[in-house]
Amino acid sequence: MNQIMSDKRVIALYTLPALLLILVLIYVPIVLTGYYGLMDWDGIGAMTFVGLENYAALITDGMFWSSAYHSLLLALFSVGSLVLYLAVSLVLSSNMKGADLFRKIYLIPMLLSSVAIAQLWMRIYHPTNGVMNRFLTTIGIENPPLWLSDTSIVLFAIFIPIIWQYAGFYIIIYYAALKNVPKELEEAAKIDGATPVQIAYKIKLPLIAGVIKVTIVLAVIGSLKYFDLIYVMTDGGPNGASEVMASYMYKLAFRTNDFGYGSAVGFFLLVLILIVTYLIRKATTSKEDEVQY
Amino acid sequence: MSSNTAAARTEEGVKIGSFRLRISRLILYIILGVVAVAQILPLIWLLLFSLKDNQEVFNLPPLALPSDPQWGNYARVWVDGNIGLYFFNSVVVTGVSVILTVLLASLVTFAITRMNWKLNKVVLGLFMVGLMIPVHSTLIPLFSFFTTIGLMDNHLSIILTYTAFNLPLTMMILLGFYYTIPRELEEAAIVDGCSIHRMFFRIILPITAPVVATTAIINMIYNWNEFVFVNTFISSDNLKTLTVGIQNFIGQYATDWGAIGATLVISMLPILIAFFILSNRIVEGMTSGSVKG
Amino acid sequence: MKKKAFIPFVTLSTAALFTLAACGSNDGEEASAGNSGNSGNENTEGSNAEAEQEDVTIDFMHLWPEGSSPDHHRIVEDIITDFEEMHPHVTVELEVLENEQYKNKLQVVSSSNQLPDVGMTWPAGFLEPYVNGELFTPLDDVLEDGMRDDFVAGTLDAYSVEDQTYALPLELNIAPVFYNTAIFEENGVEVPETYDELLEVIDTLDENGVTPIALGNRDRWTGSLWYMYLADRIGGPDALNSAIDRSGSFEDERLVDAAANIQEMVDHNAFVSGFNGLSDQEAKSEFMNGNAAMYLIGSWDLPNYTTNEEIPQEFRDSIDFFKFPEVEGGDGDIDSWVGGPGVGLFVSEDSDVKEESKAFVKHFTEEWGKRSVEDAGVIPGTQVNTEEVDLPDLFIDVLDDLNNASNITLFADVQMSSSVAETHLNMIQSLFGEEVTPEEFAETHEEALQEDE
Repeated sequence: MNQIMSDKRVIALYTLPALLLILVLIYVPIVLTGYYGLMDWDGIGAMTFVGLENYAALITDGMFWSSAYHSLLLALFSVGSLVLYLAVSLVLSSNMKGADLFRKIYLIPMLLSSVAIAQLWMRIYHPTNGVMNRFLTTIGIENPPLWLSDTSIVLFAIFIPIIWQYAGFYIIIYYAALKNVPKELEEAAKIDGATPVQIAYKIKLPLIAGVIKVTIVLAVIGSLKYFDLIYVMTDGGPNGASEVMASYMYKLAFRTNDFGYGSAVGFFLLVLILIVTYLIRKATTSKEDEVQY
Repeated sequence: MSSNTAAARTEEGVKIGSFRLRISRLILYIILGVVAVAQILPLIWLLLFSLKDNQEVFNLPPLALPSDPQWGNYARVWVDGNIGLYFFNSVVVTGVSVILTVLLASLVTFAITRMNWKLNKVVLGLFMVGLMIPVHSTLIPLFSFFTTIGLMDNHLSIILTYTAFNLPLTMMILLGFYYTIPRELEEAAIVDGCSIHRMFFRIILPITAPVVATTAIINMIYNWNEFVFVNTFISSDNLKTLTVGIQNFIGQYATDWGAIGATLVISMLPILIAFFILSNRIVEGMTSGSVKG
Repeated sequence: MKKKAFIPFVTLSTAALFTLAACGSNDGEEASAGNSGNSGNENTEGSNAEAEQEDVTIDFMHLWPEGSSPDHHRIVEDIITDFEEMHPHVTVELEVLENEQYKNKLQVVSSSNQLPDVGMTWPAGFLEPYVNGELFTPLDDVLEDGMRDDFVAGTLDAYSVEDQTYALPLELNIAPVFYNTAIFEENGVEVPETYDELLEVIDTLDENGVTPIALGNRDRWTGSLWYMYLADRIGGPDALNSAIDRSGSFEDERLVDAAANIQEMVDHNAFVSGFNGLSDQEAKSEFMNGNAAMYLIGSWDLPNYTTNEEIPQEFRDSIDFFKFPEVEGGDGDIDSWVGGPGVGLFVSEDSDVKEESKAFVKHFTEEWGKRSVEDAGVIPGTQVNTEEVDLPDLFIDVLDDLNNASNITLFADVQMSSSVAETHLNMIQSLFGEEVTPEEFAETHEEALQEDE
């Protein structure tokens, strides 16, 4: 048994193709991003080596820190919303009638591309014609918020569609995990008189703890490098009020011809994600845990 | 579920319990129903959007019927959009990438979680870092790489990129599930004289079908809607995918929104169908059945 | 083809038409348009029946997809067919991308020195890095045989760096204030000629529940137009230009005043609600559906108010435009415009088929100039013979005003280097959102400009 499961050739055969792919297509760009971060380069002409100048400039760049702060806030929100997705998945994965249909319907928005989602939410948030403000005006609120132009709320206004966009993604993962919980355990608990809530807490959640941790990491990483809807809906504005790290990096690299500095931001983002992921791992992994990620 | 729970209780308890349960179930259904409607509305919105002209897209409330449905949007998309060819390309690129990603990810995950070797955690770590790099940092390095090896303007460049970038995510979702596969299963297979390849393809892959389907759905949606890499690596019109169909209607100063809506609807249909087919595969709990058998 | 009795619509003899702070002025420019009548020459060059020449391919990247710009696309196709017939050994391969993606891809391919043989660029701030990186080839030899005079005076300057021209313009725009005559009539207001009158018009409209001005300031350059005009009307063209080219300062009192005026307009509820979160297209729809009375935008939007069949005739008939009002006591002139050339054609320095590419660019620019106004509603960078073209009145009026322009100041975000432009555009949002004072607005600009020097 052990011999067969330690066969080096099999391990190599199973691992190397994928490893090769990510080394070439992901690690080379990572290294190059770090390298470009040391350059003064407009992405077009010749490069000049400037050492750590770009990284030093980051420290005093207010726009950078505010975008980093926004990204971290988004990560916090995303992780918080996992509770909601988990609750929905618990309901959908129960044996209640119609759960299967509900599940499929709930996952539909996940199929929409970012272009469609952005357009939809811009219609919802439109200051005068938007669904939201029409409703608010109807119930008597005279000056409803200007969702995407008020710098104090734009960030939260844009978090909502992002969280909505990813609901399907997490629900489908939780759902598959919950379906994986052996029915026997649940049935035994029922015979002992456990309520559905108790079954969820005492049996299901502990069994899918590994998957929950994975989703926390995914939510954090995904949020920290989030780009799509922000780029389309607000373009980071007004005046950076909804800028996140990835959109800021994009602007630097592709709009203001500051590819070197943009790369430094990109590399910093990578390091930040690594640190945060490591911290989460430390915080959520107990000794007896087999699950590592 | 309610009858089982109730069965273990006293007669009096049955009455109160089932009444409470019924009420709470009714409330639950109402909530689920309302959310379900909310999740379907975007689809209806998109359909209506695709039948509006540029004025109505902005002026009418999102769910208002267009005064004069612009079926011409679909005709225009079909004729100008070169949809047939793009569609074919999308299917090829998405199909190959999804199969490649899920297969490679399953192999690696199997080797990391089930087989015994020292560096497995390190290799896993290498893959996880791949999640963290923002897409836009990779454009310039990847472009120059594909140019050098002559894969520019070739479907392989995007297929390989999609695979590499989706591998870490796919593996992460698979991981939690692989850890729950009972060791006994493999032992039994080996005692029966099963080779390791046979065990992987005949036993492991089938019992992970639900999570494989989950990751396939996620991969499919991502690849189908992706456009940054396609635009960067592909220049020939006859190699482009459906997402450029949308681009075709974005003008220098003005955009044909109705046509974009029509393209979005057309490009969403196949993914909707594939989703319903694949999502039926997530239903069966995997370990519960296999452990017993 | 061009007649002897050529009526140029711009007959300025001074090269000062375009005051382009960011680019060196081009002394070689002789803007007397009259002597360009004898330049029917494109058929002679390169077409000496070189049938035995080796077959070559010109890669051409542009940003007019067939779906969104069918007219542009058709002209491009025609010109290419034409060119390929004249040069049987040449095939032109197209790659078409949408605006944003186009810019993105251009930068990515530049990093690996893989530019297409021919492509489109924007002037000044956009073009400079490419020129500095020696990726575009100078096109002065193409212009030598009199073609230079075909262009509207000053337009080439925007594509010139150190006296060499790196692209030939295909577009030229100015920004008028379009307004809805029906709304003006209903509310009993007249076209404002001064800033104070404009404020009165705004107040009346606002009191009557009409949105005075459609502005989609999420896109930022839209708000920049308002600021630029006020700066021009208060300080004359020099105030802003000298601040940008560093012969002056952005903390110039007149530029601060212009910023203060913007906030005064905001306080008068001049702009559509939530403008900072609206895209230009969303805001435009407020104007197009008759909810907003005025809309300041480039002349590229003219087809929407003239020939675009998708827009109701009644609406198109009700649209007119006026020149940006003067500010009392200001140094500005009502015939001074904000505007400038848009995309132009470049030839890659590394192209293997440079000669053919240059011939193609020349041919393209000339043919485009003949057809673009009438067939696609695009005012080209070359001169238009208004006698020969059949255009709606509104178009002719704009062309005439362009003809009589005393000055055209290039869009600020195009004029500035891209990093300063980013600061400018962000500050525009803050200014309109009243999150900065006019003084802070000027100060931030000044810092960014100094840092960029």
